[in-house]
Amino acid sequence: MKGKRIFPAALIIFLALLIVCPLLSIFARAAFPDGHFDLTSAINTLKENENASMIASSLLLGVLVVIVSSIIALPLAYIFSRTEFARYRFFDIIFMIPFMTPPYIASMGWILFMQRRGLMQQLFPSLAFISDWFFSLGGLVLVMSFHVFPFMMTMMKNAMLSVPSSLDEAGSVLGIPFRTRLGRLFMPLLTGNYAIGALLVFVKTISEYGTPSTLGRRIGFSVFTTDIHRYATVAPIELGKSASLASVLIGICLLIWILQNYITAHRTYSLISGKGGSIRIRKLSPAAKGAILIFIAAVVFFSMIIPLFSVIASSLIKLRGYGLRAGNYTIGNYIAVFTEDKQGINALLVSIFLAVSSATITAVLGTVIVTAIRNARKSIGNIIEGISLLPEMLPSIVLVLGIMLFYNGIYRIIPIYGTIWIMVLSYVILFLPYTIQYVTSAYSQISGSLIAAGRICGAGPLYIFMHITLPLIARGIASGWMMTFIIAFRELVTPSLIAPTNTLTVSTYINRQFEQGSVGKGMAMAVICILFSTVSLLLLNTVINRKKT
Amino acid sequence: MKKPLIIIALILASLSAFAAGEGIVTVYMPSPAGLANKLAADFEAKTGIEVQTFQGTTGEILARLETEKANPVADVVILASWSDGLSMKESGQLESYTPANSDKMVPGWIDEDSMLFGYSASAVGVIYNTLIYPTLDADWAELADPEFRNDIAIPDPELSGACKDFVAGYVNAYGWDTFEALAGNGMVVPGANRAALEAVTTGEVGVLIAGVDYNAYSSMADGEPLSIYYPESGTVVNPRPAMIMKSAPDMENAKAFVDYLLSEDAQKMVAEAYLLPGRTDIQFDNRSTLAEIPQIECDWDAMMDISSSAAARINELCER
Repeated sequence: MKGKRIFPAALIIFLALLIVCPLLSIFARAAFPDGHFDLTSAINTLKENENASMIASSLLLGVLVVIVSSIIALPLAYIFSRTEFARYRFFDIIFMIPFMTPPYIASMGWILFMQRRGLMQQLFPSLAFISDWFFSLGGLVLVMSFHVFPFMMTMMKNAMLSVPSSLDEAGSVLGIPFRTRLGRLFMPLLTGNYAIGALLVFVKTISEYGTPSTLGRRIGFSVFTTDIHRYATVAPIELGKSASLASVLIGICLLIWILQNYITAHRTYSLISGKGGSIRIRKLSPAAKGAILIFIAAVVFFSMIIPLFSVIASSLIKLRGYGLRAGNYTIGNYIAVFTEDKQGINALLVSIFLAVSSATITAVLGTVIVTAIRNARKSIGNIIEGISLLPEMLPSIVLVLGIMLFYNGIYRIIPIYGTIWIMVLSYVILFLPYTIQYVTSAYSQISGSLIAAGRICGAGPLYIFMHITLPLIARGIASGWMMTFIIAFRELVTPSLIAPTNTLTVSTYINRQFEQGSVGKGMAMAVICILFSTVSLLLLNTVINRKKT
Repeated sequence: MKKPLIIIALILASLSAFAAGEGIVTVYMPSPAGLANKLAADFEAKTGIEVQTFQGTTGEILARLETEKANPVADVVILASWSDGLSMKESGQLESYTPANSDKMVPGWIDEDSMLFGYSASAVGVIYNTLIYPTLDADWAELADPEFRNDIAIPDPELSGACKDFVAGYVNAYGWDTFEALAGNGMVVPGANRAALEAVTTGEVGVLIAGVDYNAYSSMADGEPLSIYYPESGTVVNPRPAMIMKSAPDMENAKAFVDYLLSEDAQKMVAEAYLLPGRTDIQFDNRSTLAEIPQIECDWDAMMDISSSAAARINELCER
């Protein structure tokens, strides 16, 4: 029985080394600039005019994106939970697309579309006035909202689905008009869920690097993530400043996380108890139906069609100077990605290697961790779970900065800084929470009686795990693997901060071509990237579903 | 009967390749990427020494060197800015060496301490979109005229070494008036060299000042609607220094690579990439020759002192 105590303890130490130490080295770098405790330089960094205004604009951006994505997401959530449109499951897949398109690719698409004499002005010269407006904070908010809204939409849709219609009917029987019911009954029940969704969107926005680093840079709008990156990579390097800003960002994220936990505990209502309430679908008048269709079409047009059209069109244009014009199209950019030099094909191979290796390692590690959590005492289990989910609460740029500082510092003991293995490590840390969540939810569906049955029949713990538990959680593990694979394939933050000499991934290849090479080649790779993730999602989905039957 | 001879020759060649220097040489070099790759591949084929390259803008290369100070990786560093090369020399990072063929180099493209080897050079000029301006020959200062309002771009001099040297040289010779007027006329900074060229190619702006010429020549050869000229009050031709790091992990390979850069084959590749070759005996006809480019009198020491702050000032002036 000794092993039962030692193993969880060893796991905690391992996770602390893996996740907590890099974070601590950020605080250390910020608070111990010359080896002894001294907060003045950190405070001075924050007092600097440009940093103070950067923090203000980061928070402003977060608030604005919450507002705009609510305007998009709330009506959609209602439409897809309470009206006839709830039946069309096909929209669930459609609204996955903005999520499947990496934000840096989408914002490159927007830039190419909106820029002066860009695609929009070539198609509709009279709309030129929009361009000037677009390259401003407003445009940035719009692009980020169109990326993040499906997230809030899904959350709110599920929340609305859990409000049984019986409550609404009760109100209706009492003669309360629809508007009042909506305002007094429906909405108050959802404020808790909305607050959680809004906070998550806020954190996601201030943690996002892709859009600010492309569109934000274009309009000279700095936020936390871009400044942390700049101080850590552009001469003169000031890691202390980078670490100070990262510390503040960690503080904000943890604060929001605590707030969110408080709201979950105090402001959400358990609406499903006993027999599940039924949802009554509202019948719509043709006019309402038409208006809704127009709204959905507009959202699809702005969040998907414009960026995708722009990326695909740019990948097919032969001479950039002539733009969209008959005879000026070519597939040469795609050929050039593979043949012009080894960079394109190497970038693809590196990304595939990183995606496969990190997905596999996190699948194994995540399963071990979740199994340990379930077998350990509750308090120990909570510690393990808390540490391993930490990476999800924090912006990836912060974690990667921590990894960079920590492994640079212990280079003599573990010499992986500057090699591809530090990238594998970083991916594992960043994406571990996905596997943990998938495996945990798979575990929660296993009834204890199955295990008990195994025990009664005389099976040992290993036998039970291999023959009862593992087959039952295999789908959860596979889903976690798949998610990690797709997200790791296009990861941008890690490679742009700690890629070794000579190593490009798909994301940095696209970025580099967009910024300093041939836009056509960059966009060709972007199309390949989107196709690759979509096809692997579909492929793996069918494989996993087939396994089930 | 010839087969055995060929086999023996091959064996000898591979043996000599091994003897000459197995191992690797790590080279940090700026664009154009195509040239960097070709040089690396040819050097590998000739010597058997594997070339690890890091390709980035001058700004990125300098940043990389700074992060790696504790664990130096680079053997040879090539920059697109002569003044940045001089400041690396001043901080004592460079090894002195007399490469083969250095006697054939353009006078002045090797420094007196024999640490900076200008194996190629570029000049900056005015690049314009011919769909927007069919012809153009305005001098630098004239581009601040109202007719070019909001239609001028400049590469980010903190990223582009060539642009940085030009700004330093121009300001040193003529002062700040022109740049202030251009900034007041709505000049924008789209990014490093390629991004700036992209802006003028797509017509986002009509005119790019201080754009590197080799990029423009290569786009023009592709058929893009561009043209380039060197304004009459002169420009800066900046030799691109290749330098051997004092901290080079592999000094012998580093020296071999620098020798190779000045070899006839490498110099021909330089010319094919529309750069000015570092040796005077290489013939080319795909671009303006050194003699045809009007130049500003360059005081490189004075320019080195102001180049970084001047580059930062450009970005401040153009900030919207």
